[in-house]
Amino acid sequence: MSNIINAQNLTLAYDNGEKEIIRQATFSIKKGEFVFITGPSGSGKSTLLKALYGALKPQSGSLVVGGRDLSKINTRKLQELRTHLGIIFQDYRLVNEWTVEKNVVLPLMIAGYPEDVQKAQAQRLLKHVKLAEYTHKYPLELSGGEQQRVGVARALSKNPVIILADEPTGNLDEYSSNVIWDLMENACQQLKTTIVVVTHKIPTIFSLPYRHFIIEHGGVYEVN
Amino acid sequence: MRSIKNHLMFILPLIAILLGIEFYLVFDRTTASYEKGLKDGYSMLVVTTKPVTLNDLKVLNSHIGSIESIKRKNIVSQITQGIGKESQDEILKQLPYFYDVRLDEYVPIRGLNKIKQDLESSTFIKRVETFGSSYSSSYRLFSFIKFILKLFIFFISIVSVFLIVKQMEIWKYEHRQRMKVMEIFGASLMLRSGILFRMAIVDAFFATVLTSAIFLYIKFEWAPISGIDILMQKQDELFDMNDMGLLFLSSLCIVIFAVYSVVISNKGVEE
Repeated sequence: MSNIINAQNLTLAYDNGEKEIIRQATFSIKKGEFVFITGPSGSGKSTLLKALYGALKPQSGSLVVGGRDLSKINTRKLQELRTHLGIIFQDYRLVNEWTVEKNVVLPLMIAGYPEDVQKAQAQRLLKHVKLAEYTHKYPLELSGGEQQRVGVARALSKNPVIILADEPTGNLDEYSSNVIWDLMENACQQLKTTIVVVTHKIPTIFSLPYRHFIIEHGGVYEVN
Repeated sequence: MRSIKNHLMFILPLIAILLGIEFYLVFDRTTASYEKGLKDGYSMLVVTTKPVTLNDLKVLNSHIGSIESIKRKNIVSQITQGIGKESQDEILKQLPYFYDVRLDEYVPIRGLNKIKQDLESSTFIKRVETFGSSYSSSYRLFSFIKFILKLFIFFISIVSVFLIVKQMEIWKYEHRQRMKVMEIFGASLMLRSGILFRMAIVDAFFATVLTSAIFLYIKFEWAPISGIDILMQKQDELFDMNDMGLLFLSSLCIVIFAVYSVVISNKGVEE
């Protein structure tokens, strides 16, 4: 299978290169793989994820995601790439003044899908994440676990090629965490979506084969 | 409720600016006609040694609009009552030519002095009388009122701009989360700011309608019974329907500037 993410001598830094977080990292991820990235707090896990969706430009080296080199990409191409990504955040990042349904269809709205298609997809996904009856509720009326399920539904709504998740269960209890892992396993298994999860701890119950990268002292190493 | 408050916080300063603009337009129109009145009501007396035409004087100063000869016979007949016909003819022969000269536009007092100088530089002009004092005091009062009004409009606009900037900061905070999320999922700048633009254009529309309504009320309801001569006479100049377009255009410019500053300052917030 071909690589969907490819990093060559990738260096990521803040403050105009003064503060290097990732140094000369080389790794690749194939289509349909489930990848965990772990590491101690402040090691650069979230920084790497930011770089994967183009919010942080590589300081040096190359980072190719979905065929696009993020070190050279322009704003329009980056926007186009992002419409093929599903992103899940630890703090959910839902739009509080929008209903659950509108939050879920955001990627479809951006891509310009007709409203009836958006509605049908929202119904299907909210049923899938067991929130069918919450369509017209607002995020702040939901629990943390429910909000994260909305976040997962949003990430899945446009059948993305890659899902990037930053500590998706970091704020959740065990039950809600298991629901989220199940949803992501299903996406990987049934839709062959590539999933990259940054987490401080790999779930104990996880049925799919996965790859595990660890970030330590600025390096990205694969754990066998 | 919060949404109405948010709209009002933007609409009210916008209305203040639009009122300023419209007051300026109205004042400009009414003062233009006042200036015309001053000009029309003003004439200078020119005494010449020979008969002259309008062109003769225009060559000396381009502001000369028209001239009217004062009949010398009438002057002679008033000053020679009881004098014989021959003596009258002799006086008439010796009498210079008098002209009532009007200007082509309103000229401030300095301009009047210049016209006087230009005319007096000619060899065939004996004397020029400008009657500048009443003209000058009217003009000074008029300039003072104009200056005070402009100053007032300027300060109102400054205060309003500050209020709009304050409201923009609130918008920036309120829409930050939504714009940030939309940007992460690949929305273009136009799509992210579309809601703000729609909201701002609606506010600009309401501000224009409300400002126009105030002036239409003044024009049709209040001015006719105000008892103020100038308002009753110049009722037509209180609001022109073209003003509505100008007000909407002005408010659009203001809101587009406001929205763009919010959008630009929210750019790249996820980094």
